[in-house]
Amino acid sequence: MKSMAEGTLAFRNISPGFVKAGFVKAGMVKAAIFVMTVCVVGCAQSAPAVQLPQVHLDAARLTPRPIEELTGTTVARHYALAWRNLAVALETNQAEGLGDEFTGFAQDRLKQRIGEQKQTGVHVRIVDHGHRLKAVFYSSDGAAMQLLDQAQLEIQTFDGDKLLDTQNAPHEYIVLMTPGADRWYVRDLEEVSAKTF
Amino acid sequence: MQRTIPGHFAFCKRIAGLALLCVLPGWAWAAELHVPATVEAGQGFSISTAGSGQAIFYLVGPDHVLKRTVSLGNDLQIQASDVRAAGRYQAILCDPACTSATFEVTAAPPAHLSFFLHPSRVPVSTPDSIDAAAFVFDRYFNLVLTPAAVDFRITPASGAGFSRQGVTRDGVTWMHMGSTLHEGPVQVTATVGNVEEKRVIQQVAAEACGLRMKALTSANTVTLETDPVRDCSGNALPDGTVVSFTKVDKAGKSTVDTPIKKGIARVQFSLHGPAQISVACGVALGNELALNGKL
Repeated sequence: MKSMAEGTLAFRNISPGFVKAGFVKAGMVKAAIFVMTVCVVGCAQSAPAVQLPQVHLDAARLTPRPIEELTGTTVARHYALAWRNLAVALETNQAEGLGDEFTGFAQDRLKQRIGEQKQTGVHVRIVDHGHRLKAVFYSSDGAAMQLLDQAQLEIQTFDGDKLLDTQNAPHEYIVLMTPGADRWYVRDLEEVSAKTF
Repeated sequence: MQRTIPGHFAFCKRIAGLALLCVLPGWAWAAELHVPATVEAGQGFSISTAGSGQAIFYLVGPDHVLKRTVSLGNDLQIQASDVRAAGRYQAILCDPACTSATFEVTAAPPAHLSFFLHPSRVPVSTPDSIDAAAFVFDRYFNLVLTPAAVDFRITPASGAGFSRQGVTRDGVTWMHMGSTLHEGPVQVTATVGNVEEKRVIQQVAAEACGLRMKALTSANTVTLETDPVRDCSGNALPDGTVVSFTKVDKAGKSTVDTPIKKGIARVQFSLHGPAQISVACGVALGNELALNGKL
């Protein structure tokens, strides 16, 4: 159950005027703009065989609230965990595999899909080559963050053992994440066309 | 004309190649799927197929997986309930070789608003102190990504209301605004089309302004009482707000914190000779009194 996270952080163009008085609490990083890469290569408890995908988070144009360093790290890590769990759940058709990373619409939809995959004998294998996340909206009260994800995925669809289809193209997702007590949850995950980006 | 064995083999290869060329287009054609590029969520449609015989059709979407046997050459009817979630769908047809096509389901028109208003209490006359954000969803709770105009209507308890407009980008819009002059509830209504969501924010008095106290002396005691404590806009500070009275006399420095009751704060000190008394509420300092028989 080892997990290892390596992050590089580069701050630039810190704009004190952008940070409202009382808006950023003590201990938070007063940085409106940063680019962060989280490369998580460890294995985690629930699915020891599956690596966490690489997630690169870019919060350079985030509005209306700046992101704190810890928040950025946590968002990237839990987004990676969410995709790892999603891949496991869609391949094994076990909704429990989704773990605690999804909530709301995202969880409901995925559970329904996994149930129907099980009924029809279909399963999906995702080979995850990484995600370029762009944070675009972070509400002033910190209650919601919207992100755009350009994911490099190879998606293989099976009926039993028969390979039905392989999709090996960039996939774009619009993501809504909300904070919980100890993590950021994926609340909405919708695939969109590339023109959204 | 006689053929040698190698020549015969080459001839057969040529025939086989021609036969394959004849068969392959038909085979590819049989498995062809014609799907629309985009479909609105909750709208049924049909997918045309070519060929004859039976095949297995799969539809794999964000929240739905469908598998059924179909007759090639007929249109496949996709029900409205099959495409309620926005996102990319895979249509796969196997007879038994498989061919696939993808299409995108986009959100239906706005039907729900998820509206955040922050904070829940705010001092009056404070610039950029109120933030509102609205996410626009369709009736299936897909984020509506096409720009939608959201109207934020602000209705204070007293005074004229006003509106702010925002246009969604990626399904969300937000605005900042300052609090108005008077305390009391302020209703903010976000509207998109005929969908509206209401939230109420409580405006409270700001810091005290023009704080004044008066003294009533009797024997060795003095009773200090403030005028009604108000902010600079004339709003009464709420009962419970702490007012600090500080006395400096021969006995030393003594501070008493007392809450406002019925709009005023009152305290009693014992006196030991001449005394200097000051009053403060939050960051606001009031008047000072020198008690030695004269104010």
